[in-house]
Amino acid sequence: MIQTENLSLAYGATPVVNNVSLAIPEGAITCLLGPNGSGKSTLLKSFAGLLPARSGRVLLDGQPVNEWDRQRLALRLAMLPQKPIVPDGILVKDLVTLGRFPHRKWWQKNQAEDNRIAHDSMAMTGVAELADRPVEALSGGQQQRVWIAMALAQETSILLLDEPTTFLDWGYQLEVLELLAKLNREHGLTVVMSLHDLNQAAQFADHIAIMAKGELKAKGNPSDVITESLIQRVFRVETKVTAAADGRPFCSGYAAALKAPETAIT
Amino acid sequence: MAAETALQPSSRVVSGLILGVVGLFLAVATGIQTGAVDLSWQQVWAVFTGDSTEHVHRVVFDIRLPRTLVGLLIGVHFALSGWLLQLLSRNPLAEPGILGISAGASLVAVIAFIVGDWVFSSGNPYNNASPALDYLSLFAMTGGLVAAVAVYFLGLSSGRLSPLKMTLTGAVIAGMLHALTTGTLAFWGHAHTELVAQWLAGSLYGAKWNHLSSLLPWTIIGLAGVGLLLRPLKVMQLDDEHVQTLGLPLNRWRAFALLIATLMAASAVGVAGPVGFIGLLIPHISRKLAGPGLSAQLLLCVVLGALLTVGADVVGRTLFSPYEVPVGVVSAILGVPFFLYLLSRQS
Repeated sequence: MIQTENLSLAYGATPVVNNVSLAIPEGAITCLLGPNGSGKSTLLKSFAGLLPARSGRVLLDGQPVNEWDRQRLALRLAMLPQKPIVPDGILVKDLVTLGRFPHRKWWQKNQAEDNRIAHDSMAMTGVAELADRPVEALSGGQQQRVWIAMALAQETSILLLDEPTTFLDWGYQLEVLELLAKLNREHGLTVVMSLHDLNQAAQFADHIAIMAKGELKAKGNPSDVITESLIQRVFRVETKVTAAADGRPFCSGYAAALKAPETAIT
Repeated sequence: MAAETALQPSSRVVSGLILGVVGLFLAVATGIQTGAVDLSWQQVWAVFTGDSTEHVHRVVFDIRLPRTLVGLLIGVHFALSGWLLQLLSRNPLAEPGILGISAGASLVAVIAFIVGDWVFSSGNPYNNASPALDYLSLFAMTGGLVAAVAVYFLGLSSGRLSPLKMTLTGAVIAGMLHALTTGTLAFWGHAHTELVAQWLAGSLYGAKWNHLSSLLPWTIIGLAGVGLLLRPLKVMQLDDEHVQTLGLPLNRWRAFALLIATLMAASAVGVAGPVGFIGLLIPHISRKLAGPGLSAQLLLCVVLGALLTVGADVVGRTLFSPYEVPVGVVSAILGVPFFLYLLSRQS
């Protein structure tokens, strides 16, 4: 499972994440929340072994993640970037089949099994009927489901998603989140994603970590973490937190709290 | 409708390939038959059955056949190199000329030519006995590799390849290397200036069997390399970090692809000079015809690259015969309108 120990990360000389110790529970949905530039995406990338730690470390199944062989890592963990590049003219089925890459040696062709798994992944995310369409021609929500199908075809038990809802309208956002919840429920997929919407996180996450200015401000289940005072401190927003029908926290009555500058948190 | 869109590209690929192969065959045959001395088809046929005059035999075997075959390989080299570079840098403008590879190869080849000449022909400019000529491809490859490595590393932006930065760096380095080549030629070119200038325009003039044998190993290595790259290249079209999370050691494969692209382009420069446009045009045309399938693009690149070069050379040496228009000039004149037509049809 993923665990960070006093992890600090930097881009060149710029520190981005500072001294974060966090354990991601297996088989659960974890949401990373925080304002823009708080280090959520950077933290996610470090989980995938894409950034060397400046100090501290990221452990995956007890072994430092950058010591994992890339191919072996790709069988354990898949990642969906915030703005993935769509190869020119590629068809849905061909893109999804790219998820099978780590399962074969680089000189091997795809086998019948790969095509079957790619097809199952498309069926799971509801894009099977789009298989022969070019990805570029699809709507944002459909494209996001295709990317998730590709990650599923990778057959990993952990899926990292960097702001999977940011470029989608409200309906598609819920559709993607419901899909991830279903995959978590039915296949035990461990989901770790960064989100912007607190209520969506509260509704879908089992576990929430809140970042601000590169530091971990809170972690725990939604009702423990999403509180009026924390939201005001981290997001500078005044809000009323009530319990929704399912008992999860629900934020309403937003107003920018200009009087509480972020320097107050430190 | 789904079945139709799935079928369309592959039928276009097949007809493109068939037309390309037929066209290539005709271009090669015409290349052997026409020239300063026009031969009848019977005379050409007689050469291959073994009963022709010595004169005709010499025209076909010593001059036209090697020249045509060298042209064919050159076309394959530049087309595949451009195709790889465009994929690798995720930049539709990339090609060996724009990225400075051809310019690096040219500079070192010109220097080797002049130095070799100065050392070996002791003042007689018409004595081309310099052994440097036989190894021109190797010198060119050295120059091309140095330029490619420089452009690659200068094109990195905090550890990631930036297509924009790589293209700009390439253009600037290419400009500088061109200036150095021209300068070298102006100062030390002497009696060879005309010959070298013709070579720099991209010419198959005087292509012989020894040129073919210095090219062919690199064609084979290049094709084998591209074959190995086919599957990784599919994945490498994605975002850098995405590629890595799919388990591909990106830097290693990128370096290998760049190496293959450079070897192909630079070895061709060593023989025919920096023939422009083929490396830019043919990959685009192949992509337009083939759609997203990389193997289909690759096959079309090979056939169409050879066709354009051989065809352009035939046109170039017959149009104003006995004067020759270099193959680089003709291929640009023939290829660009077709390219513009494809572009305009797209949008």
